[in-house]
Amino acid sequence: MMLTKLGAMNGQDSGITKRQLGVFMALVGSIGFVAVLAIDIVDVGRQGGIGPAQFTALGLLAAGAVIGLTLIPLGDAPA
Amino acid sequence: MTMPRSRIYTLLMAAATAALLFSFLIYLLYTANLLSFPYDYDQGEGFELHDTVLYSRFQLPYRDTESYPFYGSIYPPLFHVMAAPFVWLFGPAYWYGRLLGFLASLVSAGAIYYAVFRQGRGNRWIALLSALAFLSSNFVYHIGPLYRQHTMMVTFETLAVVMLAGAFPRRDKRGTAAGLLLLICAGYTKQLAAFSALAAFTWMFLRQPARALRCLLVFALAGAAIFLWLNIASDGQWWLQTIVANVNDTIPEQAVGLFILWFKLHGLLLIPAAALLVYELYLDRLSIYSVWFVFSTVLGAIAASKWGAGDSYFVTSIAAACILSGIFFSRALAKDWRLPRRFPKAILTKVSRAALIVIPLLYIGYARATLKLPTAGAFEPVAAALGVEGNVRDDFYDSASFLVGGYARIGYLLTAEDRAAGDEIVRLIRATEGPALSEEAGFALAAQRDVVTNPAQLRNLHLAGRFDGGRLVGMIERGEFGIVVLRAQFYPPPVLAAIARSYEQTQSIHMNGFDYIILHPRALDDN
Repeated sequence: MMLTKLGAMNGQDSGITKRQLGVFMALVGSIGFVAVLAIDIVDVGRQGGIGPAQFTALGLLAAGAVIGLTLIPLGDAPA
Repeated sequence: MTMPRSRIYTLLMAAATAALLFSFLIYLLYTANLLSFPYDYDQGEGFELHDTVLYSRFQLPYRDTESYPFYGSIYPPLFHVMAAPFVWLFGPAYWYGRLLGFLASLVSAGAIYYAVFRQGRGNRWIALLSALAFLSSNFVYHIGPLYRQHTMMVTFETLAVVMLAGAFPRRDKRGTAAGLLLLICAGYTKQLAAFSALAAFTWMFLRQPARALRCLLVFALAGAAIFLWLNIASDGQWWLQTIVANVNDTIPEQAVGLFILWFKLHGLLLIPAAALLVYELYLDRLSIYSVWFVFSTVLGAIAASKWGAGDSYFVTSIAAACILSGIFFSRALAKDWRLPRRFPKAILTKVSRAALIVIPLLYIGYARATLKLPTAGAFEPVAAALGVEGNVRDDFYDSASFLVGGYARIGYLLTAEDRAAGDEIVRLIRATEGPALSEEAGFALAAQRDVVTNPAQLRNLHLAGRFDGGRLVGMIERGEFGIVVLRAQFYPPPVLAAIARSYEQTQSIHMNGFDYIILHPRALDDN
């Protein structure tokens, strides 16, 4: 039932648009970026600041957010 | 659609084909050389053979490592199950597992050919070069003809992605089901296939979200049913050995080094692949190959930081890159782009003309970038003509060199001396009483002794706090093993310490470029 509704919501299951994909990537990228930065703020016992793994994650999330933002103006074109 | 042709294009394409066929010839030689070698070449092959032997006896290799023979396996079953019938016919041997790996790499190359041919407007020549480019990769060359399950996983992944690319958009239920089944096969060959499954479902969700979710539900149920069955049948050891023990310490420098090497060797195809990805992202629809390329590269690179990971973790992304670059080249030649109306068509014509020269040059450059060959014997004049000399060994050149951590230090050809060294280790094992504690299973199998322990797995379990090792250490301290054979010394520190206390080195045997340390029990009054 839920899956049928999902199909109906999305124009007979015609696919995700570039705008939807862009919004998703921008949100995940920016929220993830803040969350990874917050690891150091919340986990005050940690030593050594931002490590290589965190640095990589920050880079990937920032890139994802930027790419997402550039996709939003492309509107309803299928992703 | 007519194919663009010119004499220079034909000549350059013929040169590119010859260069990549030469690379394939080296791959064939390497495979033939390995098939005739009866011992471990890459560390861990023997344990995969032992898994196969256990499956041939209808036994699972997911076992309690606290009791004799202290053996457990980290790998899912499918590759070893596929090889099990060979044990019935030929007994334990390396050649059939290596042959399966090699044949699997050819099947992957065939799938790449088909994908490029289908999506590349029927350009057979580019499709052929894409397939040969995959086989020319130093990373594929390394792992292809080994008794390892990795190549088979990549083959299942590639077949699954190519199958889904055609079937899912057409709503072809059988084709989609076959693609999903191949993904399950990939996952039960090696856990790393989870990245390809993630990529496939992401793409399916982008295309038809509701259908993708229905497929995901069926896929998850089928995968979980197998998982549960294995866990129940192994009394929970499946979970412990393949999941809990699979969380290792990370070495970020290793991932960075491998990533840079991956780009240096394959950059001439990675850039066109990335160009097609950008084109699809902004001007067309994302293909499954683009999504697969992104997921397998990013997640593969992250996973490559794990202890025990290596260059093989990039093989899936290389398969994706070969497909994407092949499609990009085919479309560039055919001027087959969906571009905004205001885009000047004259530019497309110029690009197509330039592509006639640039594309074969890129493949020639790629063949040079991935060059590896023996530099002695019959290949000496070839090496001299190419201006290369042995770098990883006196008699072997590998463009990747052996400088990056995690890059498998293999690829050279084995000699009669290597075989004799292996025979000598087996003779030493046979000359002793009691079980042998060998870091490589092949010697124990050849000597018809029990395969005792899987060192890397014990190390993994030790790090996860799930290996006590009291009984094993006790057997070592009582000198119950007639002989100990060490190579990489992957055992957990308490086991290595017990060996150092109770055994003494009697010999060192050089085989495959590594020193195998032979130890015998110390005299009792030495302890």
